[in-house]
Amino acid sequence: MTYRVAMDIGGTFTDVVTYEGNARKLRAGKVLTTPEDLARGVFDALHELSFAEIEFFVHGTTQGLNALLERRGAKVLILTTQGIGDVYRIARGNRERLFDLHYRKPAPLVPREHIAEVAGRFDASGTELEPLDEDAVRQVAKRVREQGFEAVAVCFLFAYLDPEHERRAGSLLREELGEDVLVVLSHEVAPEWREYERTSSTVMEAYTGPSVHRYLDRIESRFAEQGLPVPVHVMQSSGGLVNAEFARRHPLQTLLSGPVGGTMGGVAASNLLDRPNLICVDMGGTSFDVSLVLDNAPDVSPDGECEGFPLLMPLVNLHTVGAGGGSLAYAEGSALRVGPESAGAVPGPACYGRGGTQATVTDANCVLGRVDPDSFAGGGMDLDLAAARSAVTALAGQLGMDPVELASGICDVGNAKMAQAIRTLTVEHGLEPGEFALLAFGGAGPMHAAFIAREIGVTEVVVPRFPGAFSAWGMLEADVRRDFTMQFFATSADLDTAALARSLDELRDLAWAALGEQGITEDKRSVVHGIDMRYESQDYTLTVPILDEDTVDSADFLARIEERFAEAHHRRYGHATPGAPVQFVTIRTTGHGVVPRPEAAPEPAPPASEPVIRDVVFDGKPCPTSIVARAELAVGARLNGPAIVHEDTATTVVPPGAELRVDEHGFLIIAIEFEETLV
Amino acid sequence: MNISPVTTEIIRSGLIQAAEDMNMTLIRSSYTPTIYEGKDCAVALLDREHRVLGQSSGLPIFLGNLEECTRYTEEQFGADVWEPDDVWVLNDSYIGGTHLNDCTVYAPIFVGAELVGFAASRAHWIDMGSKDPGGSMDSTSIYQEGLRMRPTRIVAAGVERPDMLGLIETNVRFPYVTLGDMRAQIACARMGVRRLGELFARYGAETIAAARAEIFAQTERLERERLAAIPDGEYAATGYLDNDAIDLETPLKVTVRITVSGERMTIDLTDCADQATGPVNCGSSQAVSAARVGYKLLISPTVSLNGGSFVPLEVRVREGSMLGAREPAACQYYYSSLGMLIDLVVKALAPAMPERVAAASYGDSMIVQFAGDNPRTGEPFVTLEATVGGWGAWQGGDGETALINNVNGSLRDLPIEVVETLYPVRVNEYRIREGSGGAGTWRGGDGVIREYVMEADQDLSLWWERSVTPAWGAFGGESGTPPRVTLNPGTVRAREMLKANSLRVRKGDVLRCESGGGGGYGDPAER
Repeated sequence: MTYRVAMDIGGTFTDVVTYEGNARKLRAGKVLTTPEDLARGVFDALHELSFAEIEFFVHGTTQGLNALLERRGAKVLILTTQGIGDVYRIARGNRERLFDLHYRKPAPLVPREHIAEVAGRFDASGTELEPLDEDAVRQVAKRVREQGFEAVAVCFLFAYLDPEHERRAGSLLREELGEDVLVVLSHEVAPEWREYERTSSTVMEAYTGPSVHRYLDRIESRFAEQGLPVPVHVMQSSGGLVNAEFARRHPLQTLLSGPVGGTMGGVAASNLLDRPNLICVDMGGTSFDVSLVLDNAPDVSPDGECEGFPLLMPLVNLHTVGAGGGSLAYAEGSALRVGPESAGAVPGPACYGRGGTQATVTDANCVLGRVDPDSFAGGGMDLDLAAARSAVTALAGQLGMDPVELASGICDVGNAKMAQAIRTLTVEHGLEPGEFALLAFGGAGPMHAAFIAREIGVTEVVVPRFPGAFSAWGMLEADVRRDFTMQFFATSADLDTAALARSLDELRDLAWAALGEQGITEDKRSVVHGIDMRYESQDYTLTVPILDEDTVDSADFLARIEERFAEAHHRRYGHATPGAPVQFVTIRTTGHGVVPRPEAAPEPAPPASEPVIRDVVFDGKPCPTSIVARAELAVGARLNGPAIVHEDTATTVVPPGAELRVDEHGFLIIAIEFEETLV
Repeated sequence: MNISPVTTEIIRSGLIQAAEDMNMTLIRSSYTPTIYEGKDCAVALLDREHRVLGQSSGLPIFLGNLEECTRYTEEQFGADVWEPDDVWVLNDSYIGGTHLNDCTVYAPIFVGAELVGFAASRAHWIDMGSKDPGGSMDSTSIYQEGLRMRPTRIVAAGVERPDMLGLIETNVRFPYVTLGDMRAQIACARMGVRRLGELFARYGAETIAAARAEIFAQTERLERERLAAIPDGEYAATGYLDNDAIDLETPLKVTVRITVSGERMTIDLTDCADQATGPVNCGSSQAVSAARVGYKLLISPTVSLNGGSFVPLEVRVREGSMLGAREPAACQYYYSSLGMLIDLVVKALAPAMPERVAAASYGDSMIVQFAGDNPRTGEPFVTLEATVGGWGAWQGGDGETALINNVNGSLRDLPIEVVETLYPVRVNEYRIREGSGGAGTWRGGDGVIREYVMEADQDLSLWWERSVTPAWGAFGGESGTPPRVTLNPGTVRAREMLKANSLRVRKGDVLRCESGGGGGYGDPAER
């Protein structure tokens, strides 16, 4: 027996999904996360499996993110070009809140006194104006040693054009400091223009790197102690996998590695379901994350931010709103508001019985009878339904409403907010939500999905197997991915297609070799290119695929790519200006390496027991509703709403008028009926 | 009709979201950084009576004056002028209140045959064909500032009018970019038409009307409650603009007199300088908007904007003053007085709400503009940068360092690597101007130093302000250091100036720009 194992290490729980190759069986489990030593939790979770049988191990780690959120990353020194040391503190000077007299930027990870400048300068054409002051770099190395810095972030102007000064400074620092101090060079982290964003990315790697490094070392040495060469893989923020060896050298890529597993699960689901476009909604206790699968691929942005710090690296585009089971409902005058404030894990919703007294979305679901107290959290938690009822009743008193009416209202307002978050993300792509199916997971997602679908005009909701551990499952379905970028600034007037062709070749070779380093055989490798384009003077760029790599240096290439850009612009924004001058900014090349997928056999369902019928409130009225265990629903089973399907990690609500069936992969498919015509 | 708090809340958030969707459509597809970063734009959904249903954050100083454009159009042409799928544009300074670059694009919204509201956006177009590219710092008449449009139909029955587009195209310097921004605004208006239409189709006119009444009433009630908490009385503050950029010796007075009485507030702006010769004037609707920004910062910063907002506020402006300009007053740099006015509202009310106010910030945009021919490309170029500076301290916190000002929205500075790639200048130095924030129990934030070296001969324009009235302190805190701009510092040719219009500078010249710090709060001895 051999296992493929995926783990999603969250703040409270670690989800584990294993695939047993010979039996073609998938299993999901949950253990407590061990925040003081994440590696220990990983091995606790693996305890039940014999190590000898793991052939593939992938995990999403919050190690780097925790170091950032708790501000206990490494002590970092920034080494930068003479004259611009304050760029990191100035941080482009923008404000996120426009009506705030007391606005503060996010507190920098590196204080101003930990920034050193050295002479040495290139210009915008990549010509050296002044040589690097090597003595000054050696002085900095001395300071690093004396003052106990753990990492140095080196970011020089125009290093993305000519990295020579950064390389030289890097080797001088390593020579003086040895292996004890992590040296991070900006052109290796993000070879793109914009010095603040590049510095911010470099600092983030330096700040979180040492702790990720130590963590991966512990994991690998524990495997080695067992005498096992288990290939450890890590999920990247881009939705692709890399091996631990690479992640150790480029820890930044793992910063947001957990939640993107869900999106990659969405990609796998989109292939299985033959639905190229999916809206993935992950609703847990405090937040609601939406991401998109477009044409069977994850929606990945070339850059993003975390905690207010910009990051130049590919990130799955996750839109998060403060709407979860724990979102608080409250009155503002005579008005009802829901969220974004949350009851969090402590005290949590009133029904958790941990001292919460304010009504939350989960409490509203309890009052409506949609939460099955016997099976909530796998029966592992006693729900205090009386506390939920009294919290909702208290608020209903303030608003002059009936408690059940208010409970429905709290869910309606929450659902409307989540529906708006989805609309925002799809509108951003120039698409309407009706063109998608909705894939719901996370503990609370399947409970709300059918109602959200109705709000946005989606006719099909999909609930995967193991909705509470779906991100971990998604990791078993992801490919190895390596991304490369190269600044390539040109206008339609001066585009040198021969130079573009050479750059593409160079990047292809890099990507090809990088996949080899990941142990991907040649037949499993593929490389794709895109180029960021915009109209002259625009800032936002669109990444336009270069599918015709072989004919880039032919005469009509410019016309072809301009046309494709105009089409993309029109689709996304509803207008374009054919003939207007365009700019080319950055080449983006991605290497994909296919890894083997689980091929789970359908599970035989035990004989269905007599369905329990209980009253659940829909549209303000109690309706007799079938309560069904998911394990008893065989492939092909059908069920008319109202119904509630419960399993260990989630509850799926099928409202009246909706129809549920179980497809051949074990997905629950809910067909939504529309009573009224929606636009 | 009685309406439940649930339906009201869902419609309220639906209206806000509709405005957000409009805003995103505009921002993401606009062609110029003034819009996508400067947020030099605003969007609003209006009801049939031109009241705001939902507004998305754009430039604060555009608060609540888009409706002037639809209202004026209806007054001029009658209510029958609105036709489905039409789109209009207007940029007249004396109606919209701002400079000619700010073009408001608006469309009626029909559900079936019935007019139910309007979708509108305002955005800064890069050039309107003024006598100098991008707008002049020394204009003395609106006729030097470019193409002026009263209500003009640019799309008729869903089709762009080639005659009107041709008129715009032939009058502006960068037609591709300008028409691109215009189309982004048209797409934005269509998004509003669609979203409001969906809400009407979903809930029906009667429910929307009931929800609207309740939403307006909620907002008005919240604002009234907050006003009632301020002690009744008269509050006032005065400051001075450096000059009108023509007569450099005469500062221009800006005074705000605020009366709080029960649940009402009056902001009286009548005691301000007369309409000036230089381009520092604005139409009265814009002065009203700026007064509303000051009000909102203190009274209702987190309350959503709608037809109930500002009901308890009255703003008085004197026609013929700098803040109530009449034809043909020049309006290109209309905003310096407005930034000052916002700070003065905060200053005036400081005694009444010491915990909410802050000392003054470094001022407004502090513009550095280079124009000429780029020797690398052989093409003409114009670049315009606003400079960040120090903000005022408040009770409990130091002012932020190197932050963009109130009139520039959320503009980001231009990266050095972008500036040097696109334009023939080099940035030698970009650092914090240490000690420029005012001392206090809580210190004002510091300004910045940005030093440029010319890589080619070119024309320099400057619009810097607040040397006569630098950022003042509050409750015993000290003022911030005023701004300073020096050409060729430390040489015999050194020359200090804060305003310049197309001054020829030579290759190798050095321009050192130092922005002001913010004011301190409280006695420095207690720090």
